[in-house]
Amino acid sequence: MSNNKEESVKKLFTTQSASVNTNRGESYYAELYAKCQKRLDELKQLKPLNNRMDFLESIEEEGLDRRDFLKWASATTAMLMLPASFTPLVAEAAVLMNRVPVIWMELQDCAGNSEALLRSDGPQIDEIILDIISLEFHETLQAASGHQAEKQMEEAIEHFKGKYLLFVEGSVPLGMEGYYGTIGAKAETFVDHLKRVSKDAAAVVAVGSCATYGGIPAAAPNPTDAVGVMDIVKGKPLINIPACPANPSNMVGVILHYVLTGNVPELDSLLRPKFAFGYRIHDNCERRAHFDAGEYVEEWGDEGAKNNFCLYKVGCKGPMTFNNCSIIRYNEGVNWPIGVGRGCIGCSEPDFWDKYAYERPMANANIKAPTGGVEKSVDEFGLGLLTAAGIGIGIHAAASYVAGKKEERGEA
Amino acid sequence: MSNKEGYKQVKRMTTAMRIIHWVNVFSMIVAIATGLYIAAPYYQTFIADDAVDKYVMAWNRWGHFMVAIIFDVTSIIVAYLYFFSRFEKPYKKVLPTGANIKEFFEVLLNLVTLNRRKNFDSTHSDSFNTVYFTIFHLLLAWMLFTGLQLYVHGLESGESSIGAWWPWILHVATDWTVPFSTWLMGSTATGANLMDVRVLHHMTMWLIVVWVLFHIYYQVWRTIFWGEGDISIAFGGTKFVKESN
Ligand code: HEM
Ligand code: SF4
Ligand code: SF4
Repeated sequence: MSNNKEESVKKLFTTQSASVNTNRGESYYAELYAKCQKRLDELKQLKPLNNRMDFLESIEEEGLDRRDFLKWASATTAMLMLPASFTPLVAEAAVLMNRVPVIWMELQDCAGNSEALLRSDGPQIDEIILDIISLEFHETLQAASGHQAEKQMEEAIEHFKGKYLLFVEGSVPLGMEGYYGTIGAKAETFVDHLKRVSKDAAAVVAVGSCATYGGIPAAAPNPTDAVGVMDIVKGKPLINIPACPANPSNMVGVILHYVLTGNVPELDSLLRPKFAFGYRIHDNCERRAHFDAGEYVEEWGDEGAKNNFCLYKVGCKGPMTFNNCSIIRYNEGVNWPIGVGRGCIGCSEPDFWDKYAYERPMANANIKAPTGGVEKSVDEFGLGLLTAAGIGIGIHAAASYVAGKKEERGEA
Repeated sequence: MSNKEGYKQVKRMTTAMRIIHWVNVFSMIVAIATGLYIAAPYYQTFIADDAVDKYVMAWNRWGHFMVAIIFDVTSIIVAYLYFFSRFEKPYKKVLPTGANIKEFFEVLLNLVTLNRRKNFDSTHSDSFNTVYFTIFHLLLAWMLFTGLQLYVHGLESGESSIGAWWPWILHVATDWTVPFSTWLMGSTATGANLMDVRVLHHMTMWLIVVWVLFHIYYQVWRTIFWGEGDISIAFGGTKFVKESN
């Protein structure tokens, strides 16, 4: 682990974490526009892969019309921090999504990210896009299994060498030489599997907090020694889309950005796309006025809760969490955690399960002493320290007093 | 102050040092009171106004950041005086020379033997004292760096009302506290997290409170048992020592 700590230090110094540059000047965008147009023209020459559905037909089948699609395209353009003039390009890129091959791999996970992109009451445009991308391989979704599935994977790797996007869901267990998780008849460990399949990928996208940081499996005591993809995959463009689950809009955003520009979007120090993780929950929260006013929900269901007061005192970690769910929300903008009245648990941050996900303010949360000993809250720890110091001082004072008296009487 | 028979008055703190001392005392009280409120708002607002007007958390944060800026300024001055003061250069007293180490332990022994043993010169600031104050300033510097890291989270746009250089410089100066804090706190996951910075900012506050407790006790203790009026150093800038022979 010491190795990647060094690297994270290096990274912290070389990237401007979490700062978002939304305006890069006209000439930059003019150049980018030309580049994107060229790229889309090239993609148009390619045939859709794997007999994928036609996008525009799919939308129609789902009962959405072109207006909905254009609304979506302009919202997505804004999300990707591109000027409005890029909207037609984004719409075009969406139609061309079936030209980019994607391999989706599941490791130590709950398939929650796959669920997130499949389950919504009626498929919306984001979901349809994920439907039509050329998903060459997805263990959970595909019909093939066993040897057939393995063969399909080999063929996809071979056929799209250097061209496919590899989406990884789930953490990588390193304990017991990786044998906490194996795949296929030959019992290939997850870590070997990841290394092999990522070798020929154009870029790797870690989806969800487990793939990004190890997530829930990496929570203390991390029995399987789980790590995130960035600890394993080196020397490849790598994009992290954390959150539990990752927001389908952000997955689409990353693929779209790639289809459109052929590049990975701008990333922060944790390799998260800035268009999604350059915002702090707390700064775009509808309850923020109540935070500043000092109006808090004191306990679940009280008057404050009924009046949508700030959730800070019941443990909201929005002030330490970077994600765009306070802006784009979930399920096509229907709602988001704070909107339904519970605090943010920092699901897009490293080690969130241990360090963020408790429904108390940080000061009242049990944390381990740096030595790994007993769990105490920060304030209990501090007050304990203070009491010990107070007792020590009391004893010293009393002893000094007695010694002083003796001296006065000439006994010392 | 009248001169006591057989004692001479010695100057220990310049006016500038005393001003800094009391500014720090004031700032520390405000920083702790507001910091604890920020951590877990401990009083409720009974002002019957709508949210935008009462602004209780916002004022607490404002107060916290104002004293933080004062701490920034005094810390820079103190760091300068530490090496370049024309009065007494404290760094000379923490260098691990034989004389300093001996003095350090003599003063410590004086404390643990309840003043039975006093084999050092108490006219000037001794090694033990200087080390103790150095610890304080290191703790304060750590508060500054972690505090400014917490502060820059709110400037995620990369802009500020005084320009883009401000968040930039804060990142350059304080981003190291993130991996360092996670290293100190320990984490079983990949990546360094911001919460550890916050936990340590809070925890260090308690260390400072303990520091202050002992500081006050020790000054009072010395005043009583040495009988040299040490407590007045912080007020008038001088104390008394026995005229040798
Ligand atoms: C000197 C520079 C300092 C700066 C820039 C600073 C800044 C901050 C910031 C930005 C926060 C978080 C506020 C929020 O999330 O809204 C904070 C919290 C806090 N500060 Fe400071 N601070 C400084 C010094 C101190 C000192 C000297 C103390 C006390 C000894 C202190 C005690 C606290 C406490 C207890 C919290 C609450 C942490 C928690 O959430 O549990 N700070 N400070
Ligand atoms: S609910 Fe959470 S994110 Fe929203 S203002 Fe309160 S603390 Fe911030
Ligand atoms: S509010 Fe926080 S915990 Fe909830 S989804 Fe958003 S980032 Fe994750």
